Amino acid sequence: MEIILNVENLSKSFGKIKAVNQLSFEVRKGQVYGILGPNGSGKTTTLSMLLDLIPPDKGEFSWFGQPPSKESRKRIGSVIESPNFFPYLDAVTNLEIVADIKDKPYDDIPEVLQLSGLYERRFSKFRTYSFGMRQRLAVASALLGKPEVLILDEPTNGLDPQGIAQIREIISLVASRGTTILLASHLLDEVQKICNYVLVLRKGIMLFSGNVKEVLAVSDFIELSSSDMQGLIAAVREFPGFSSFNETDGLIQVHFSKVVNTAEINTFLYQKGILLSHLVDKKRSLEQHFLELLQDNP
Amino acid sequence: MIKLLNIEFKKIRTYKVFWILTGLYFVFLAAGILLAEFMINHMVNDINKRMPIPLPHVAIYYFPDVWQNVAFFASIRYVLIFPAIIMIILITNEFTYKTIRQNVINGMSKTEFLVSKLLIILLMAMVMTLVLAAGAFLIGLSHSGFSEVDFFSKGVPFMAGFFISLICYMVYAFFCGFMMRNTGLAIAIFTLYSLIIEPVVYFFLRAPFMFNNSIYTYLPVNTVIRLTEYPAIPMLKKIMGLNLQDHVSFVACMIPITYAAVMIGIVFLVMKRKDL
Repeated sequence: MEIILNVENLSKSFGKIKAVNQLSFEVRKGQVYGILGPNGSGKTTTLSMLLDLIPPDKGEFSWFGQPPSKESRKRIGSVIESPNFFPYLDAVTNLEIVADIKDKPYDDIPEVLQLSGLYERRFSKFRTYSFGMRQRLAVASALLGKPEVLILDEPTNGLDPQGIAQIREIISLVASRGTTILLASHLLDEVQKICNYVLVLRKGIMLFSGNVKEVLAVSDFIELSSSDMQGLIAAVREFPGFSSFNETDGLIQVHFSKVVNTAEINTFLYQKGILLSHLVDKKRSLEQHFLELLQDNP
Repeated sequence: MIKLLNIEFKKIRTYKVFWILTGLYFVFLAAGILLAEFMINHMVNDINKRMPIPLPHVAIYYFPDVWQNVAFFASIRYVLIFPAIIMIILITNEFTYKTIRQNVINGMSKTEFLVSKLLIILLMAMVMTLVLAAGAFLIGLSHSGFSEVDFFSKGVPFMAGFFISLICYMVYAFFCGFMMRNTGLAIAIFTLYSLIIEPVVYFFLRAPFMFNNSIYTYLPVNTVIRLTEYPAIPMLKKIMGLNLQDHVSFVACMIPITYAAVMIGIVFLVMKRKDL
């Protein structure tokens, strides 16, 4: 797949604080790429650098295989932090300004307003909008001119459940059209629901990145028990892909370095003469994994 | 260029504050110009009460002196401050509403953003100069009748001087707004400096050389409002020994233009380096 965004060793410090430290990753066409991290982990700083708002201290990045420029930004729709519009202009005028800057025709304006449910209020001044409406107008403006990439920074932050659902619906719709999406969030379930790739960021350092499904698979462990615990432990050590185990309350929790299924294990142990009294496949949620990643890397 | 101006025009088209302040500017301008002659003659009357030989009343709105006098009264600090405040509001709004960030995110280059603001300064200065010139012409006609021979000799130099004053002063305001980023702070500092601090400093610098207008003080605002140094009132020449200018000096214009150019340079540098 075509590489949309390539980031190499991106770094930025604010005084002594390293907001982003040696960050490298790439986003390919059609991916819904999540940047996951707690508040203050460098998500917004990263996106701000990628959009030329903040000059990086070190490192490089390229959009669409080219050095960043205003022309590349015209192909990207972005919502960074709060929705930024002129409060004394109506939605249509605000969107016309966006379209003018992007060199896009006004034809899309009614469509994006309808998609974001603001069509009826299109001639109301921005300052009269509710918080949720403002956020939806920001998403609408990001969708103007059918961008190839959509960048969303905490798009559901501070919204009520209905607002969250509306924004996620729009994102799903856009993703289904094949638009590449880069989403920053501190909410795990949001990344889990929307994204297929994830990068976990903490204190500006990338802890982990990969396919969301792989993250779940690798984090599996299997709980086993048998009347012959010594024999069980000896046998399971020989299982291909075994990595470690913990023993607790007459159970062992076995971790593997690859994806295993319970039937394979059962057959293997049976052949070794071990009869299991307990066999459970424990999938940890991404949330558990996320918290563990943060704890393992103090 | 057209595209950038079009974007700027959209930003102000339905912005009430802009139109109210522009309206107020024209009201103050008209009032200042129309009252100037009356106020001068009021002063003459006061002086005459204590003088054995009465001074004649002055007329300042006949051709071709009307151009110079209108330019002088339009360049006084209290009138010129209006377009400056408008400019401060237009630039600081972009920071307050973070629309400068959004413009850049959406694909405007930082240079284009600054150029669009400089273009709006240019356009505002053009419109305001044309309005003033039209006003001066009408005032001149109503005071001189059609018997005058010399209509325009002072028109072009003094209107061009006023145009340069407006541009430079609005660039100063733009600079102040850009560096402060906060509307209230920028207006307070700019107004305080223009109307109080600089006149006080100017007074102390100028005092030893009273009435010697060959001494240029290089204070930024002063150089702007002194492009037209004095109104063309023949009596002033007699009383105070002033050399009345018949054109705006090129050197005098270069001083505020240099200030403005340096400020624009700083703004471009800061824009390039600083986070938005």
